[in-house]
Amino acid sequence: MTEFYRQYLAVAVFVVAAFGMVGAMLGLARLLRPTNPQDEKYVTYESGADPLPLFGQANVRYYIYALLFVIFDVEAVFIFPWAIDVDGLEWFGLIEMTIFIGVLLLGLAYVWRKGLLKWA
Amino acid sequence: MNPVFDWHALAPDVVLAATVLLTLVATFLLPDRDATQVSRIAAIGVLAALVPVVTLANDGADRAMFDGAYVVDNYALALKAFFLVAAYVTILLSVDYIQEGDYYRGEFYFLLLTSVLGMSVMASARDLITMFVALETISIPTFVLAAYRKHDRVSNEAGVKYYVIGVLSSALMLYGMSLIFGYAGSTRLAEIGAQVSAAGAPPLLAVAVFLSLVGFAFKVSAVPFHFWAPDTYEGAPTPVTAFLSVSSKAGGFVALLNIVFFGFYGVDGAGTELWWPVIWVLAALSMTLGNLAALRQTNVVRMLAYSSVAQGGFMLVPFAAAGIAGAAGDLGQADTAFGAVVIYLLVYGAMNLGAFAVVIAAARRTRSAEISSFAGLFQTSPTLAVLMTVFMASLAGIPPLAGWFAKFVMFQSAVEAGGAWGITLAVVAGVNSVIAFFYYAGVMRQMWFKEPAGEDRSEIEVPYALTGALAITAAVTLVVGVYPQLFARVGELAF
Amino acid sequence: MIAALDITPTYYLVVAAALFTIGGVGLLVRRNTLVMFMCIELMLNAANLTFVTFAKALDDIGGQVIVFFTLVVAAAEVAVGLAIIVAIFRRRQDVTADDVSALRG
Repeated sequence: MTEFYRQYLAVAVFVVAAFGMVGAMLGLARLLRPTNPQDEKYVTYESGADPLPLFGQANVRYYIYALLFVIFDVEAVFIFPWAIDVDGLEWFGLIEMTIFIGVLLLGLAYVWRKGLLKWA
Repeated sequence: MNPVFDWHALAPDVVLAATVLLTLVATFLLPDRDATQVSRIAAIGVLAALVPVVTLANDGADRAMFDGAYVVDNYALALKAFFLVAAYVTILLSVDYIQEGDYYRGEFYFLLLTSVLGMSVMASARDLITMFVALETISIPTFVLAAYRKHDRVSNEAGVKYYVIGVLSSALMLYGMSLIFGYAGSTRLAEIGAQVSAAGAPPLLAVAVFLSLVGFAFKVSAVPFHFWAPDTYEGAPTPVTAFLSVSSKAGGFVALLNIVFFGFYGVDGAGTELWWPVIWVLAALSMTLGNLAALRQTNVVRMLAYSSVAQGGFMLVPFAAAGIAGAAGDLGQADTAFGAVVIYLLVYGAMNLGAFAVVIAAARRTRSAEISSFAGLFQTSPTLAVLMTVFMASLAGIPPLAGWFAKFVMFQSAVEAGGAWGITLAVVAGVNSVIAFFYYAGVMRQMWFKEPAGEDRSEIEVPYALTGALAITAAVTLVVGVYPQLFARVGELAF
Repeated sequence: MIAALDITPTYYLVVAAALFTIGGVGLLVRRNTLVMFMCIELMLNAANLTFVTFAKALDDIGGQVIVFFTLVVAAAEVAVGLAIIVAIFRRRQDVTADDVSALRG
């Protein structure tokens, strides 16, 4: 057996071990626990919130939050390169970044004033 | 290490950016139903941004920043001035329309100025990254503007169509740019040009150039990538249509000027055969099909949409001419062609905005955009009829109006480029100028020789702002036609 | 180490070209507007992959910088596109491109 295939053998051993471990734990629990089935126990969220149907229409309200998240999240990508070289860019970099975040905050202020942050 | 900033050179864009933010703040601080304050802020900001443009032009020095990615030279300044004045006229066109419509919202001006900011940056962009960001800053707000009447089905459709085509063209262009970057090893247009000249014409580079040109062809609505334009122009609010057909289109042409002349043209004309046939075909098709389709229109906005497709074809002629001359080793022609495109853009902007101003003014009475609704305009509102005649005649290229001068420099570039292909293109353009005359004359015939349809024969009241827009555009159209020397200096711009 | 395959930049470029083609064909074939958006995303990301590959191969940071901007632009485009779709959706029940036909070109 070549070195190449021996490396795959290690992967195979890990896979078998992983499945065996999980199977042993679940099997042991099944043997030891009492069974007392009730419908409520099979609900996804036991907190009481009803789950949405898998392929139903989501409420349009979610889309606003998704969009706001995506836009503000993606802007963060510009902060990382600056963070790496904060010292090198000195005050100039700090002022630039303050302006950048200020512009973003203006957008957030607009959304807030238009009442889109309220779950109406 | 911090980059070196030349604040004087950046001033026009900084003032414009500050105005954009101010309009946004004003939109959410001022009462919802009153957009006049916001429109005032926008108009003053645009005029304020013109001040540093003038001082920079007085100074005259070329300024380059960020390793040559952002350049302020006379060409950039001429176009910045054009975009700012066009924005001012668009604001004048919009004020009453927005105030009297269903949506008294200040956001209109925020979106408009954001797009103008992208155009102003585009005039200075000499780098693929800067160009891409500028082009998207131009495009994204215009998608929203096209769908501005959000409860109106037709406006929604205009927005969706424009959006899908706009995003598709960005994707094509970006993929083309990525391959060009791979070939040239740099995002700077100057270095791309050097590499294109050195590499000759490898097939994959041809694919890259072709993809990016197709992307730009969508943006400037050149046939066969024009089909979105008439629908979007008809569905969008009319002031937005004026903005799309002038400023947004000019933004696309400036991007094309930058990438073709600063990039693809290269250093010694070698490699121009890579792109001029593509532009030649786009120019010939746009002129011919745009004009033939315009002949059949009964709606004046659709007619102006097809007319702007055809005018875009005329503007593409000098690009092809420069390529033909460059491939033949005649490098001097590129300057003539470059100046011809810039002159045509400036003149087209004035006369097309003017035509839309009259359409908006007339529609205040007739509530219609049919060509037949112009019937007897001379009897009810002689001033509007005379102005519309001036703009239509200028678009048709009749001397002594500005459109004639623009057509003249365009023909000059094609004829001087020479060769069978240059002359053929000049002939196609000539035939199309004649065809175009018929549909422009159709509007004139309605105004002068038909009887007015409605009962109300009093003169149409034109609000102050609209009068201002008409005055500016008519003045440019007339004065440049009589004294072409004013713009001839623009033609001396070297790239 | 697994050394059987030597991954060269060409592999990435081929994957990117395939992604771009899938996106382009999908855009032309599919009628659901949301799927069309996804196809456009695919095309933009194909361009991103090409940029990053060349940036790595050429050791030029410019190609990576443009990817940052493309990501932001794509997010802004999707936001605007969804907003327009929602404006239509509020009055209609489904969103397919064929229904958008009050205007004929």
